[in-house]
Amino acid sequence: MKNLNYRNPVGVGKYTGLLLIMPFIIGFALFTLYPFAASLILGLTDYDGIYSPEFIGTENFSDMISSSEFRGAVGVTLKYTFILVPLKLTVSLLAALLLNAEIKGIGVYRTIFYLPSILGSNLAVVIMWQFLFTSGGLVDQLTETVGLPSVGWYGDGNSAMLIIVLLRLWEFGSAMILFLNALRDIPSEYYEAARVDGCGHIRSFFRITLPLLRRVIFLNLVLQTIAAMQEFSAPYMITGGGPMKSTYTIGMLIYDEMFRFHNAGYANAVSWAFFVLVTVLVLILFAVTRKKTEEDI
Amino acid sequence: MKKIPLYILMTLMAVVMIYPLLWLVGASFKTNDEIFSSAWFVPESLDLSVYKRAWETVTPFSMGHYFLNTFFIIIPKTIFAVISSVLVAYGFARFDFPLKKMFFALLMGSMFMPAIVTVMPLYSLWSKIGLHDTYVPLTIPALFAAEGAFVFMLVQFFRGVPREFDEAARIDGCGSMRVLIYILVPCIRPVIVSISVFTFLWTMNDFLTPLIMISSVEKYPLSLILRLSADSTGDGYEQKKIIAMSVIGLIPSVAVFAAAQKKFISGITAGGLSG
Amino acid sequence: MKKLFLYLAALGCMTALSSCGGRSSPKYISPDGTLDKCTIRFSWWGGDDRHEATLAALELWQQKHPEITVTPEYGGWDGWTEKVSSQISGGTAPDVMQINYDWLVSLSPDGNGFYDLELLSDQLDLSVFDDEVLSFGRMNNKLNAVTVSVSGRGLFYNSDTYKKCGVSYPGTWSQLMELGDKMSVKGCYPLDLDIQSGGTAWYLAVVYVQQDTGRQFVSMDGELGFTEEDIRMALDFYKELEERHVIRTVRERIDEDGNAALYQSPSFMDGSVGGVLEWGSSVGKYDMVLPEGVLESGPFLKNDDGNSDGWMIKPSVMYAVSKGTQYPDEAAAFMDFLLNDPECAAVLGTSRGIPASQQAEEALKKSGLLSGLAYDSDEMLSDLDAVTISPYMELPRVKEMCNSAIEKVSYGKSDTAQAAKELYTSVKEYLKKVAK
Repeated sequence: MKNLNYRNPVGVGKYTGLLLIMPFIIGFALFTLYPFAASLILGLTDYDGIYSPEFIGTENFSDMISSSEFRGAVGVTLKYTFILVPLKLTVSLLAALLLNAEIKGIGVYRTIFYLPSILGSNLAVVIMWQFLFTSGGLVDQLTETVGLPSVGWYGDGNSAMLIIVLLRLWEFGSAMILFLNALRDIPSEYYEAARVDGCGHIRSFFRITLPLLRRVIFLNLVLQTIAAMQEFSAPYMITGGGPMKSTYTIGMLIYDEMFRFHNAGYANAVSWAFFVLVTVLVLILFAVTRKKTEEDI
Repeated sequence: MKKIPLYILMTLMAVVMIYPLLWLVGASFKTNDEIFSSAWFVPESLDLSVYKRAWETVTPFSMGHYFLNTFFIIIPKTIFAVISSVLVAYGFARFDFPLKKMFFALLMGSMFMPAIVTVMPLYSLWSKIGLHDTYVPLTIPALFAAEGAFVFMLVQFFRGVPREFDEAARIDGCGSMRVLIYILVPCIRPVIVSISVFTFLWTMNDFLTPLIMISSVEKYPLSLILRLSADSTGDGYEQKKIIAMSVIGLIPSVAVFAAAQKKFISGITAGGLSG
Repeated sequence: MKKLFLYLAALGCMTALSSCGGRSSPKYISPDGTLDKCTIRFSWWGGDDRHEATLAALELWQQKHPEITVTPEYGGWDGWTEKVSSQISGGTAPDVMQINYDWLVSLSPDGNGFYDLELLSDQLDLSVFDDEVLSFGRMNNKLNAVTVSVSGRGLFYNSDTYKKCGVSYPGTWSQLMELGDKMSVKGCYPLDLDIQSGGTAWYLAVVYVQQDTGRQFVSMDGELGFTEEDIRMALDFYKELEERHVIRTVRERIDEDGNAALYQSPSFMDGSVGGVLEWGSSVGKYDMVLPEGVLESGPFLKNDDGNSDGWMIKPSVMYAVSKGTQYPDEAAAFMDFLLNDPECAAVLGTSRGIPASQQAEEALKKSGLLSGLAYDSDEMLSDLDAVTISPYMELPRVKEMCNSAIEKVSYGKSDTAQAAKELYTSVKEYLKKVAK
């Protein structure tokens, strides 16, 4: 071990921090290491999920790379993530700005804005969301009144993905809460000073709010990216991955291989490829924002 | 007067957010046929008997029993998650120690694997020590900061609290734990409320882990009961009953959120994230 | 992050090998011929009607055998495979399980995945089953499961729609084809076929080709029976159905409401889709959403020479005993009760289809519970020379391959020749892999 200089408060040894994170270390050893390791090993086997895995080396990985279905799922998942995450961050930040206002009845609005997120992937929500986009459904009726032609939402790959994106966008509550948590921490004197300097609302938003929110923006960016990459239940229940696999995410692929096709060895290999993909994405996010957020972990 | 446009904007948004839910409540009174044929949420007739049937469930127990089951899981889980996440996040945010970067990488990494991959090995682990079909697998992991996202959230917010606060307290003779309890925790109280609420809501909705871990119907949490009747392989199901059960199931979540929402923003305003 | 990998890899190798249990011939606990006081577990999936009926049957059992407590474990179909797979691989499977036909192939490919029921014939009366019905549950000559009911897909029509269009139910394939144009004038479709998990589109095409060629799509031991030409014929048949407006195209169909099931779709409920191909055992959900008596079962289609072969049957659900059960006698006795007991049969009714056990069927006949759509369809089917569906044809992967071929053809992404070639190769390869 290198002789590092630990920047701790006076009188605090280098093991205090280690002691504090002990719950995580123990939990990791007990509940994370084993499934991860098991999954890595099984990724190198031909395994039906029940009996006797057979070691086959990296065959699963080479199958995966040559599989158009896998490449398709990676493309769909990335596309979905890149569309959803920026939209969700923008909407949740705007909502948080609105809900930060000190007006009467704000609590009711806050609860209403969060309601969709309470529902998550509840079966009833899926029934409802399906209904919204059926031909002749509410969305169709709305577009008709505006004079737009009625489109088939589910039959086209792009609009089918949009249905899923809209569902998850509608459930922006968790990101909004974190923004709200942070917004209240910006001292109002900052805004007053800015007003004295002649800054309008918009300019003080870009000059004060955004820079001061950089940590929580980063936080939401990372958490929402991870969540979007893992998307499974919405396309599984609403579109079934179709049409023509255009909403078939990696999460669905892993599920299908694991449980429907009893191809657990391959499913585990895909999970590890997925793990690497998410790691790379998160590392990029850390690298890009390092300077701006002074991330030093 | 200045606030009127704000109200209008927020009300418009609120309508978008809430309409589908009104529809949902309305749909619980509609027949399968009516559900899909009408976009208007008000049902043709108001027949409350569906709620009675939903409450009774097809099992020997009523939904009340399953609410209790869920709370037996949620309450310890929330307490465990908050305490362990705060401690671990404090360690990462304020101290330097050997292999810190590696441990943080492991923490982040543990969030990246899809749950469906890890749940089966975990099940075989728990069943080997005979603790499957108990609430232990659903609650105990929370003692060990199992939700990496919470630690990550707390780390980010801890780092927003200026270090000068800690130092001042240390000069006054506070040890590390006292700094945490008396200085840092009050500063980020809204975040702690948030993660408690997240734990509550996410556990209410969690389906896969209880499905695999719990096999006795009497021990099912609510999320399993909500899907108990949703089966298309046989005679199909009555959608309004499923929807009615979901609506009942939402009540505690909405209540908890409404009660907690004030606390999301009323931390001690102390510089916070303006680091 | 690099370190993370190395660290995990190193520790993984050390700890995970223990997770890989080997497969050896099972050591069953032998039956001892007596029924002892114990608690056994029974698991099933289903909807409300099945839950209610089964819970009532358990009460009846408890009255008759107070010493053997049966703990029920039940839920909806969604996620049930995951649950049972985890239980089996964790060695905590329920003593008696309701299983799906294709699970025999995926959970017990060598016949050692479940208890060999022939060892339990003291408690479990197998003589009331046809030999053919029993054979459905054999893997590698071991009786792994007993068929609860046998079912086949039949055609069911909305009589109002057909009356409105002034046409009668088709009896032959060519009559079916002609209906498309006649009914589309009124804005209706004679039939609906899907590429969802059921995959009725491919099913009907298989029936058509099997009737014509006499070859079976997939044989009982998992060999592909169709030639590439046969597969092309099936896809051409499907394409013709679409082109002649007998069914909606895949796109038109999912545009309506995505992944929702047909019985929840407005077009079925308002009658603009006038027919459905469904298992007799689960047609109830279609019947329920239409006014009473409107849905009727129609004839099984023949070719113009009157040949009616090629229609198929399979076990709809089966019961199996866990190979690790501690109480084989008691589990077998309970299974016998579920399958054969006349009183139990009356309580269960047709919640799992029409019983395959002759004793149970008799009991239902006596109590007048055998009537209705499912029964009509089953009766008609039993007059035909039906083919038994291979469990390999029911494998989700095979279904998936066939469904995507149909989807590609329907969307015009590939012509039938190309799609047939791909489907032939992929199914052949996959079957070679699983049917070792």
